[in-house]
Amino acid sequence: MGTLQALGHGFASALTLPHLAWALAGVTLGTAVGVLPGIGPAMTVALLLPVTFSLDPTSAFIMFGGIYYGAMYGGSTTSILINSPGETASIVTAIDGHMMARQGRASAALTTAAVGSFVAGTFATIALTFFAPALASVGLRFGPAEYFGLTVLAFATVASLLGNSVLRGLLSLFLGLAIGLIGIDQLTGNARFSFGIPQLLDGIDVMILVIGLFAVGETLYQAWVHGRDQHHVIALRDFRGMSREDWKRSWKSWLRGTAIGFPLGVLPCGGSVIPTFVSYMAEKRLSKHPEEFGKGAIEGVAGPEAANNAAAAGVLVPLLTLGLPSSATAAVLLTAFQQYGLQPGPLLFTSQPDLVWTLIASLYIGNLMLLVLNLPLAPVWARVMLVPRPLLFGCILVLATVGSYSLNRSILDVVILYGVGALGCAMRVYDFPLVPTVLGLILGPLSEQQFRRALAISDGDFSVFVSRPICATLLCVAVIVLLGPWLLRGRLPAALGEAEIQ
Amino acid sequence: MADVVTPRALLAVLLLVAAPSTSAAQSQTPSYGHLRLIAPAAPGGGWDQTARAMQQALQQAGLVHTSSVENIPGAAGTIGLARFASSEGGNGDVAMVSGLIMLAAVVTHQSPVTLRDVTPIARLTGEYEVIVVPSGSPFGSLAELLDAFKRNPESISWGGGSAGGTDQILAGLVADAIGVSPRRVNYIAFSGGGESMSAILGGQVSAGINGLAEFAPQIESGTVRVLGISSAERLPSLDTPTLREQGIDVVLENWRSLVAPPGISAQQRRRLVSVIRDMVQSAAWRDTLARYRWNDRHLDGDAFADFTASEEARVRAILNKLGTGSPAASSWRSIGAYPLLVLISFVGIALALGVSAVKSGGLTAEPAGAGWKALLIIGAGIALDLLLLERAGFIVASSVLFWLTARAFDRTHPARDGLFAVVLSVAVYVLFVRVLQVPLPAGVLAGLI
Repeated sequence: MGTLQALGHGFASALTLPHLAWALAGVTLGTAVGVLPGIGPAMTVALLLPVTFSLDPTSAFIMFGGIYYGAMYGGSTTSILINSPGETASIVTAIDGHMMARQGRASAALTTAAVGSFVAGTFATIALTFFAPALASVGLRFGPAEYFGLTVLAFATVASLLGNSVLRGLLSLFLGLAIGLIGIDQLTGNARFSFGIPQLLDGIDVMILVIGLFAVGETLYQAWVHGRDQHHVIALRDFRGMSREDWKRSWKSWLRGTAIGFPLGVLPCGGSVIPTFVSYMAEKRLSKHPEEFGKGAIEGVAGPEAANNAAAAGVLVPLLTLGLPSSATAAVLLTAFQQYGLQPGPLLFTSQPDLVWTLIASLYIGNLMLLVLNLPLAPVWARVMLVPRPLLFGCILVLATVGSYSLNRSILDVVILYGVGALGCAMRVYDFPLVPTVLGLILGPLSEQQFRRALAISDGDFSVFVSRPICATLLCVAVIVLLGPWLLRGRLPAALGEAEIQ
Repeated sequence: MADVVTPRALLAVLLLVAAPSTSAAQSQTPSYGHLRLIAPAAPGGGWDQTARAMQQALQQAGLVHTSSVENIPGAAGTIGLARFASSEGGNGDVAMVSGLIMLAAVVTHQSPVTLRDVTPIARLTGEYEVIVVPSGSPFGSLAELLDAFKRNPESISWGGGSAGGTDQILAGLVADAIGVSPRRVNYIAFSGGGESMSAILGGQVSAGINGLAEFAPQIESGTVRVLGISSAERLPSLDTPTLREQGIDVVLENWRSLVAPPGISAQQRRRLVSVIRDMVQSAAWRDTLARYRWNDRHLDGDAFADFTASEEARVRAILNKLGTGSPAASSWRSIGAYPLLVLISFVGIALALGVSAVKSGGLTAEPAGAGWKALLIIGAGIALDLLLLERAGFIVASSVLFWLTARAFDRTHPARDGLFAVVLSVAVYVLFVRVLQVPLPAGVLAGLI
């Protein structure tokens, strides 16, 4: 079989001792830089690109593979340990991951994230190896109407994130939607709600909102509730990692996360945020312990982390086969590939088979190295939870500041960060869920744009949303997901009634 | 076994990060110890590519000892432009990538700072635009496409990059040239080349406009058909008729250039101009041009300044005809249904929540333990941090923030907390500025660290 043979050649040129060392160096650097707040995967790869200038193509690709997967993984570590996601794709991980860490199960959370990333990365890379060209053409059938359907489906996940009170959850969601209105309207180029401040033209950066709500909000909340009360110390004894029960609960989530993340990553405008939300919703719906979600359910870490890394591999499908960079990180990778004369596009697999198969082999190796690096490190990282609270929270605020400042080098961003932090603290004090706000900010603008694009293309004809089969299916699934559970149990009116009492 | 190799390999890599010039062919004494290049965009775009390609070419040609790239993204480069003009004045060791899109963005966003407020150095590269349709499209030629467009302009959707950018400018120029009002162009703006390309390949839009380089692999493989190219003459590498050949008198090139801060001395300017002149002749830059399929459009001195002025006039005229960024368009009336829906729902839900809270006797809040006192201490730390960050520098500001935050949680170890505050701040500063070359304000400690 041609593919296997080609892959074999790829491995033959990639599997040497120095190459393995480069792979390990790549994942180490990628993870280390990816952990830093405010430096997302795109920036990580861009920053580390000059490191590879002096290498031969094979070594360089091996390092890219490591850096890319490492950067995608790095963000989850801070999510779990200090409730401060390193990039948008690990926002969902923070919900249950950080609760696990607070209960002394940081090591288990980090392990399930690492193994999940490995499992997802491996399966997704296999899918990339064998089905890339076929998948890419399916992805192209997604137009603005279909993407709108996808965002509606992602909005449906909000139901699993609302918390105790429907009204509070919805207010949180609409707060995010309202914040998302700020900035240039992508379709017309006109400024909206920017109040004449040039820095607001691109809107409020999702990362600033996330770091503000989660990391700063958490710090202020802890000060408000516990302050100098030294009696409140988290009991941390368990550094052993995953128990048998944890493995049993994780493996299905890894596979489901992969199945959700990879196809959504393949879509040219899918990105890696939506898959994590969809995976979280799926895990909560299918779990035998839905009540544990939000309080430290391991499935809530395993599923989204697998989805995140599977999507990262999926992103490479349109990139390699069509030359289509579907995320900022992919655009940086494209630059990196071109640096070595690799020209992604429909002819890549026939015109430059040696380079591309070496690259794919490198992805397998980078993925394995990520596991080799992070499994032993999980219990080490987990000890971050032992740092005395005054020092830990001091660290968090300094890192939050540097993260938001270095995004755009603007003091206004730091002001917004702490404003959002105060808001996050107030929301926690009054028991409003935080994640719907983030969901609203990410999905609101996307949904609006795709909706208006679809309408502009159809010249104002609303029927495009029902006449296109993929879009209609997505919208139906969204309605079923949103209303199904309530309708089945006949609880819809009751649920709304409870909301008032909460 | 890999473990044996690792520390050394890692060390080698870290050294490479710290001193990126190791591989440079040091054929001559570098004109710059360190040249900072600013890309007024996020990593991945054309300006970022240009800056990083320059970084590599300058180092390999031995023209600079080291060079770094800083990204200041926002509002199609106008944020970077404003920051560059205001904070780098008189600084001879820094340059910023600019270009046609920045000219357009200055008009669209009514930016108070324009390219006239910085020192022009040189135009570097150019990229032609192509009008394409997917291979299965019913439109076999530009004439067929434009006939349909003339009959019913809104029925033809044109996919391209962000609103007010080169792609939309070309759509406007073409419409204007064939006597259709540019306002009637049904232009579908996508954020970034990747998104618009996928819409074009998937046949979601009737036609696409994009840079030639981005589409080259598609053109070679036949997945898209080129109907016209915006160059003045037919290109040797691509047998496609120009717009002009097809009776549309439009030539457009997406050019990129380099500018220096305002207020630099004539000598500093001459030095930068001559380094760029050497760079464009270097083998490394030639490779870069070929790799990215950029045209060599090196032009400096007064000729470049004249060129910028004439392009600005042309861009302003067509953008006014397209109606992007006109003040009238940003009034309350045109805000649209979606924002109103969001705001009304937000207020409605807040009211409903308020009513239910009043009925049940107020919102339930968690009781404050240490409460206000701890929050006030952190608040003071944050206020000082914001005040000091750009004045006294990152290390001072962060040490203060760290120490006061620690005070909010702990009254017993002021000295230990102070020590950690300084150590962490210095470590973060060194990591970001020295190792990763992400700039942070040095402030009062500039020169010491």
